[in-house]
Amino acid sequence: MLGFTSKQLIGVGIFLFMIFIGVPMIIGATGRWDFYFTLTSVALLAIASAGVWLTFYIGRINIGQGAFALIGAYVSAILVVKAGWSFWISLPAAGLFAAIVAILIGLPILRLRGVYFAMITLVLTQVVTLTALALPITNGAKGISNIPLPSGVSLFGIPILPDFAGMENTKMAFYYTACIIMILTYAALYRLVNSRLGHLCRSMQQNEELASSIGVNISYIRIVIFAVSSFFGGLGGAMFGSIAQSVYPSSFQVADSVNFMLNCFLGGLGYVFGPMLGTLVLYFGWDLLFEFGKYQMLIYSTILILIIRFLPNGLLSIRIGKGGDK
Amino acid sequence: MEQILANGVYLGSQYAMIALGLTLIFALMNVLNFAHGQMYVIGGFVTYTFYGQWGVPFVLALVMSCVTLAILGALIEKFLFSPVIKGSAREESTMLLAAGIAFFLDAVILLVFGEKQRGVPKIVDGVFNYDFRLIMPYDRILICVLAILSIVAFIGLMQYTKTGRALRALAQDRTAAQLMGVNVDRYSMIGFALGAMLAGLVGGLLVTITGVNLGMGGPTSIKAFMMVMIGGAGVISGAIWGGIILGFMEAIGLAVLYQYGDITYLLIFVSLMIFLAIRPQGLMGKPWG
Amino acid sequence: MSPLLQVKNVTKKYGGLTANNAISFDVAQNEILSVIGPNGAGKSTLFKMIASFTPTTSGEVIYQGERISNLKPHIVARKGVVRTFQETTIFKSMTVRESVVVAQHLRAKASLAGYFWRSKTAKEDVTAFEKYADELLEFLGMSEISNEQASNLPQGSLRALGIAIGLATDPKVLLLDEPFAGMNHDETMNMVNLVRSVRDERGVTVMLVEHDMPAVMNISDRIVVLNFGEKIAEGTPSEIQNNEKVIEAYLGSVDDEIGM
Repeated sequence: MLGFTSKQLIGVGIFLFMIFIGVPMIIGATGRWDFYFTLTSVALLAIASAGVWLTFYIGRINIGQGAFALIGAYVSAILVVKAGWSFWISLPAAGLFAAIVAILIGLPILRLRGVYFAMITLVLTQVVTLTALALPITNGAKGISNIPLPSGVSLFGIPILPDFAGMENTKMAFYYTACIIMILTYAALYRLVNSRLGHLCRSMQQNEELASSIGVNISYIRIVIFAVSSFFGGLGGAMFGSIAQSVYPSSFQVADSVNFMLNCFLGGLGYVFGPMLGTLVLYFGWDLLFEFGKYQMLIYSTILILIIRFLPNGLLSIRIGKGGDK
Repeated sequence: MEQILANGVYLGSQYAMIALGLTLIFALMNVLNFAHGQMYVIGGFVTYTFYGQWGVPFVLALVMSCVTLAILGALIEKFLFSPVIKGSAREESTMLLAAGIAFFLDAVILLVFGEKQRGVPKIVDGVFNYDFRLIMPYDRILICVLAILSIVAFIGLMQYTKTGRALRALAQDRTAAQLMGVNVDRYSMIGFALGAMLAGLVGGLLVTITGVNLGMGGPTSIKAFMMVMIGGAGVISGAIWGGIILGFMEAIGLAVLYQYGDITYLLIFVSLMIFLAIRPQGLMGKPWG
Repeated sequence: MSPLLQVKNVTKKYGGLTANNAISFDVAQNEILSVIGPNGAGKSTLFKMIASFTPTTSGEVIYQGERISNLKPHIVARKGVVRTFQETTIFKSMTVRESVVVAQHLRAKASLAGYFWRSKTAKEDVTAFEKYADELLEFLGMSEISNEQASNLPQGSLRALGIAIGLATDPKVLLLDEPFAGMNHDETMNMVNLVRSVRDERGVTVMLVEHDMPAVMNISDRIVVLNFGEKIAEGTPSEIQNNEKVIEAYLGSVDDEIGM
């Protein structure tokens, strides 16, 4: 691609190699098949966290991504189970639906800032959970279970995407799928940030009034960004439902919304790949700490607090210079 | 009808106390204490331990709850919030710190108190029964009265004592307070401790009626946020109003809508969202923008 | 010649408080007009209404025959009426050059999507913007600091940056909110000359809110004086200097903004 230094290209190359070849090799060698699930979860949560990062980019604190993830999960599940759609279509449909909900909700609330906006998004997660419990179409507390694995896709008899049900190692298939979507998400994010739209967002983040005075249509851009952010949330949620093969009102809760925020923050809000790193560290870290049983949360939260206390700009700020090249 | 009123007052007084603590902390430090619910739970467990397990007189157990939370709050403020507020440019840092502390306290509660639901024997037996139109157990009435007394005492403290005046000055304008000679660090700590203490006190009071368990922290925090936002973040009278309103909404909702199941909270939250979208500063907050 | 901008009976009330009461005056093309008055006279509020950052309670602002009051602020900016700020004037963590490049967004030919996919038009735009930014910074004498982060700049440069950002949008009318605030004598003289050349060489009509009397008298073609939300005088600098009402307004209030 034009405009990238060779160092950056090498970095990207190594990263891709690690994800697609390196990790499967390591897992195969050590026999830790559960890592597939962990890393797939990391990828999906990273997609949702990317959305939250994007809302930070226009200067809003978004504690509601859990709501959009849940919406996405349910929409995809309903479309697959009750309408018989193929997962590969229900996935983007779920994202789109989440985006539309975001636009509707965003219109009245995006003009609020800081704590006020944050609190409304916090309530949003609760509202969606309660709605899921109340609506008949979502099966209430029973949720939607026994969601079939993604089916194959073929055009004119030529298989393009394999049928997951026929695979022996679905875990690996999900892993690859999640990683591909994650990479696409972050590629889009990177592109957006380095484009004029990114400049405008930065200007809005730093001084909304000034941006307005130079002709930036701040309400329009806010809604667009919020919709994109929620699209990612819906996407992540839908995939999650597919992997777990079930969706419950409790699948995504306030704690998850908070965790998405933490992922962004830990990685560093100033870096595009921050949420990816943050999700990896936090989720993997949480998983690794499982060994400690009861003490898992204690150790986890202690480390978290220490990092916030001593590294307020996130992990990537340890590196010298801007961390945008990977 | 009277039943709904009575329930509303009862719930409202409890909620108002929780909201007061939270709004005080917000007024002082511009931070929404995500861990407020956990502090409430700790208060409940401490009272349970002293009164329920060790047989200490109830009032003394309450005092222990207050003391524990006050110390905890002071430590958290001094060693965690204060440095982070001073050191970080972004306002998100304090919010995330609060979230981290919430997780931490949840973990501590799990380890120290276990995950079981706990309750204590009633402190007062019997039920007040007014012609079957108004039924209220005596212990609820007692708790309600205690809550109202605490609120009055709190307001008195804020209005008439030197500490209260210092806290109010600090809440209004940090720099101005500093110029007037208020030790900003000391009073921030005291204020946070006071806010935490209020949460703990309610926990201690309510453990006698609804019991306490680990999972109550999060939802209580969210309810507290709602109340504070409805009433106007950082405004004392707003917190009380917020608490009363939420209490009444719950009382009415539960009475009227119970046949529809969980709709009550859904409706409450949705109407709150709409209200806040229209009027983000809440009822008593400063005009916004 | 009909006036470029007309303020017609503009009133602003906040609850029971009247910040501006039926203010009317015209602004001719290419003139430099200053709005002065003691503290709290309502000058900034007036400017906010002209640029439509605040709605009027009644009255309108007409620009080139069209009403611009009570429109969305970014639309007014696109029509050519641009405002700089009294408070935080800048994009803190952008460099000077970046700010000036961003500010040209209004003149972009490619669509937002075009920028995302790096279309040819988008690339042309970017090159043009950077060139214009350099040219503008040179005109303003800011070339040396073009790579400084805005948050590191001293007061005088910040004001100049605010003007640069405003100018980058290619405005017809520039509203400057206290451009000389916090400057010493030399800096003020520089800024005065700068503002004058903006009008002379780039044909921009300039409106100022200011407290610095010598600078105002120096630079203005005409002056409008507000006191307690009302317009009490309008005229050339010499007319204003000899106006009794104006003198009384200033002597009667504690005005400590003059001098640095």
